[in-house]
Amino acid sequence: MAKRTAIKVSNLTHTVTANTGDLTILKGINLEIKEGESVAIVGSSGSGKSTLLGLLAGLDVNTSGEIVLYGQAFSSLDEEKRAIIRGEYVGFIFQSFHLLPSLQAIENVMLPAELKGDEGARKKAEQLLDKVGLSHRLTHYPNQLSGGEQQRVAIARAFASSPKILFADEPTGNLDEANGKIIIKQLFELNKSQGTTLIMVTHDNELAKKCDRHMVMSEGSLVEK
Amino acid sequence: MVNFAFKLMLRDLRSGDILMLLMALIISVSTVTTISLFIDRLQLSFEQESANLLAADRLIRSDEAIPKNWQFKARELSLKQARRTSFGTMIFSGDALQLSQLSAVTDSYPLKGAYLVDDTLFARGQPSKQPPKKGEVWLSSRLASLLNVRIGEKVEVGELQLTVAKYLVRDPGSSSSAFAISPRAVMNIRDLPSTKVIIPGSRVRYSLLLAGEPVDLENFESWVVPELKEGQRWRTPVEKGERIGDTIVKAESFLLLAGILAVVMSGIAMALASTRFVKRHLVQVAVLKTLGATPKVLIKVFSIQFVILFFTGALLGLAVGWGGQGVISSLLSGLMSTSLPEPSVGRLWLGTITGLVSMVAFCLPMMLRLIKISPMSVLHPSRKLEKNSLALYSMGFIGIYGLMCIYTKGFLLPSIMTLAMLAIGILVSIVGWMVFKLGRSLTSGATSGWQIGFASLYRRLLPNLFQLLVFTLIIMLGLVLVGVKSSIVTEWQEQLPVDAPNHYLFNVQKDQIEQINASTENLRVLRSDWYPMVRGRVISVNGKSIQTLYPEGKGEPELYERELNLTWSHSLGKGNKLLSGDFSADGLSIEQRVAKAANLSLGDTLTLNIGGNIVSLPITSVRSVDWSSMQPNFYLILPKRVLDGYSANFVSSLFISNENAQPFYKSMSQHPTVSILNVGDILKQIQTVIEQLSEAIQLVLLCILIAGALVLIASVRATLEERLEEGALLRVLGAKKALVQQSLVVEFGALGLFSGLIAAAGAEACVYALQVFIFKSQASWHPLLWALGPLIGISIITAIGLFASRIVLKVPPMHLLRDF
Ligand SMILES: Nc1ncnc2c1ncn2[C@@H]1O[C@H](COP(=O)(O)OP(=O)(O)OP(=O)(O)O)[C@@H](O)[C@H]1O
Ligand SMILES: [Mg+2]
Repeated sequence: MAKRTAIKVSNLTHTVTANTGDLTILKGINLEIKEGESVAIVGSSGSGKSTLLGLLAGLDVNTSGEIVLYGQAFSSLDEEKRAIIRGEYVGFIFQSFHLLPSLQAIENVMLPAELKGDEGARKKAEQLLDKVGLSHRLTHYPNQLSGGEQQRVAIARAFASSPKILFADEPTGNLDEANGKIIIKQLFELNKSQGTTLIMVTHDNELAKKCDRHMVMSEGSLVEK
Repeated sequence: MVNFAFKLMLRDLRSGDILMLLMALIISVSTVTTISLFIDRLQLSFEQESANLLAADRLIRSDEAIPKNWQFKARELSLKQARRTSFGTMIFSGDALQLSQLSAVTDSYPLKGAYLVDDTLFARGQPSKQPPKKGEVWLSSRLASLLNVRIGEKVEVGELQLTVAKYLVRDPGSSSSAFAISPRAVMNIRDLPSTKVIIPGSRVRYSLLLAGEPVDLENFESWVVPELKEGQRWRTPVEKGERIGDTIVKAESFLLLAGILAVVMSGIAMALASTRFVKRHLVQVAVLKTLGATPKVLIKVFSIQFVILFFTGALLGLAVGWGGQGVISSLLSGLMSTSLPEPSVGRLWLGTITGLVSMVAFCLPMMLRLIKISPMSVLHPSRKLEKNSLALYSMGFIGIYGLMCIYTKGFLLPSIMTLAMLAIGILVSIVGWMVFKLGRSLTSGATSGWQIGFASLYRRLLPNLFQLLVFTLIIMLGLVLVGVKSSIVTEWQEQLPVDAPNHYLFNVQKDQIEQINASTENLRVLRSDWYPMVRGRVISVNGKSIQTLYPEGKGEPELYERELNLTWSHSLGKGNKLLSGDFSADGLSIEQRVAKAANLSLGDTLTLNIGGNIVSLPITSVRSVDWSSMQPNFYLILPKRVLDGYSANFVSSLFISNENAQPFYKSMSQHPTVSILNVGDILKQIQTVIEQLSEAIQLVLLCILIAGALVLIASVRATLEERLEEGALLRVLGAKKALVQQSLVVEFGALGLFSGLIAAAGAEACVYALQVFIFKSQASWHPLLWALGPLIGISIITAIGLFASRIVLKVPPMHLLRDF
């Protein structure tokens, strides 16, 4: 069965102005990712992985080229519309978790639904936290949780909006091996059960091998392996 | 959305960031409210005091009976009215007789203020709103002693017998006619016709007193003033209260200054709290954006939070402010002769505006900046905000400046303060940068607290300079207030020592002086020098006669209006200050205010008619006179040779204590021609006002200093996180607790010392400018400030810093690394 295209990138270039002059971080990237695929991007530090990820997710606007996400070209949208798309299609997991420190675990997970004005936010959040094995820590604050636990809350939060694409930037980067494994396991399970497209930046080759596709970023260019 | 915003905010409350904002807002609204309400109450109370001086809101004084149609017009405008007819007359009691100043008043008198009367001689008196009833008379204690009558006995006024019902202590509305030098009595105006003392040609002063709504009074004024003839004057309380006027103006300026400082401190508090809020919410907002929060949603969320925050803060602040002024007033009430009038609720807008402006100037731009953060920063945490902070701070600056202007209804005071703060800002940056750099280069390595302390001062140069600036500003503002307060209070106390003269002796002949001196010496009564006094009138200026200059007396300055008391003197009297010219020259010395009113300056020639002789003299010196000194003071002082030929009366002022009053009056009864003027009432009034004001500004000062301390704490807290993180790091790296502590002491101590020193310099400059431009008093040095500044700086800042950082030293380092 022919799968839908989740993201299509053509001739993507990104240039930023640094204090030393213009710096081209991404140099003509072409890429197509189908719905439900899992993609790993590896590459040395400073090669532009995070920048690419941010552009794919519509967190920033690229200098030239085009990114089309489920048929919508980001370049034609303003921040308002891009934010709506993010809320609709996209989920995120970060290296440093980025839970809101003033909110309890459950409240962090409820956040995406609340932003949309969803009624059943709490129920859904409880279910998700249960899935990542944290049903006993609903009312704990981030600083009362270990790094691994925080990342599991972050995963639950990322899936709370039932995203079609999940972006993860080194989700295990701040965790020890054991915790990293748990996170990966849960990530893939949820990914499977919800049919999400997964795009992940990682340094971990083993993790990269688990993905359907494996790409290498090197000095602003992307090569499929 | 409201619901969500509210929920987010409630959750945020737990983190304390919103609480900080709320606290800052409450502090700013409540301090400004407290002060403005308190000023309002004081002003109302001064108005009452001055109403007491006038006994009405407005008054018309006339040498002829008041035309009936004026009274009709006043009734038409629904003004309250009272009439008073005063004249000098003999009062008899058996064989004794005494020339007295008698006023006959309507039952409605006084419209404002109250009589003070008593049943015992020379007592303090109880207020009475009603005048004497028909058939009664009230005599001043002195008059009663002179006539040797007591309450219940009868005296005769013209053809009528009246019963003495009370001893008169204060006669509201009479202090203006201070130069009516005979002892006083009051009777009811309905008895006046039957006395038959007023005959055509008698010198009588008629007054029509009015009270009512300001609009109606203004209408009446514009109607009646064109009708005024010669010998008729329209009077307002302001001119009457001139003596205390100056004192009140100074106190008001002080309180306004205090208010300004409150505004500035609130601004600082607000800025600190907002900065902290933004810092802690940057990543959160970016995360919300990745979760699909659109700019619109975020603007809505933050606007709702902004509004909720504003209303909560403003309401709480107003409540606290209302309570605060209540506390100040009740603390003062023990000292005050009368209780303060209730403040007007209408004045609450000032606090509300302050809250709004400081939120809009500090909080709003920060929030907007927060909303603009790129969601990309979740992936690049170091790239956070574009730094357009100069524009931001100038917005805050303009906001504060605007508030100060609203607050003082003027530009001078705010401009002085703003310039001072700018100058301090520049000074702090330069000095701070040099000192931190020097400190760093003198101590390298990381083995002692000194080294670590100075290293961290230099490393976080910008935040530390900012903190230094905040410390300096707050300490400086506090010191300015202390300096201004102490100089005002000292000046007041010097002006009116407890033994300031409270009696004047007039009409003393040269041969009576020795006897009077003897009896005052016996009673140990303090006495000023004797001044000879000759009456004279100015008839022309630079050769032009007064009549041609001011036909029909229209617009005539006071100097030409009436006969003047002239004197000669070899030296400038107490309370006199030479402003220009040469006092010993052979010419006139003129008082500056009347000179200004008559547009006279050095070199102008005045021609005087002194007892029929015409004398022309140039003005050779200009003096300022401190009218509240209660010394005999003169508009014009002539050379001795001019007045030598005239028979002069002598005048002197005395301080007579309550115990001395009766024996003194008795001894003076040997000199029935000598007139005694008791100004004790006026004096007491001035003294009470000064006492109240000194006390009041002391309390306000305290208020501001407390607010300042709170802001200091907030500003230490603002940078605490970084310091904590560092302290924990040092300890993880194996530093001993004592070392971390030592480095913190060095850091805070240095910050405190320098902010204290610079603040003292800034405060000295500021107080100087204020003394010269605002308070118009003499500038002086304030060694106190130079001692207090560094002391407060070091001790308070180190104490607050260490107290706030005690967590660093107590908690295991692991906790800290996890928290931040
Ligand atoms: N806005 C910007 N201004 C200046 N330089 C930037 C900007 N954004 C990214 N860069 C630079 O572009 C390069 C790529 O950054 P990016 O974060 O994408 O790398 P990365 O592959 O994720 O590295 P790492 O594996 O260390 O996370 C880096 O050298 C970074 O400093
Ligand atoms: Mg990266």
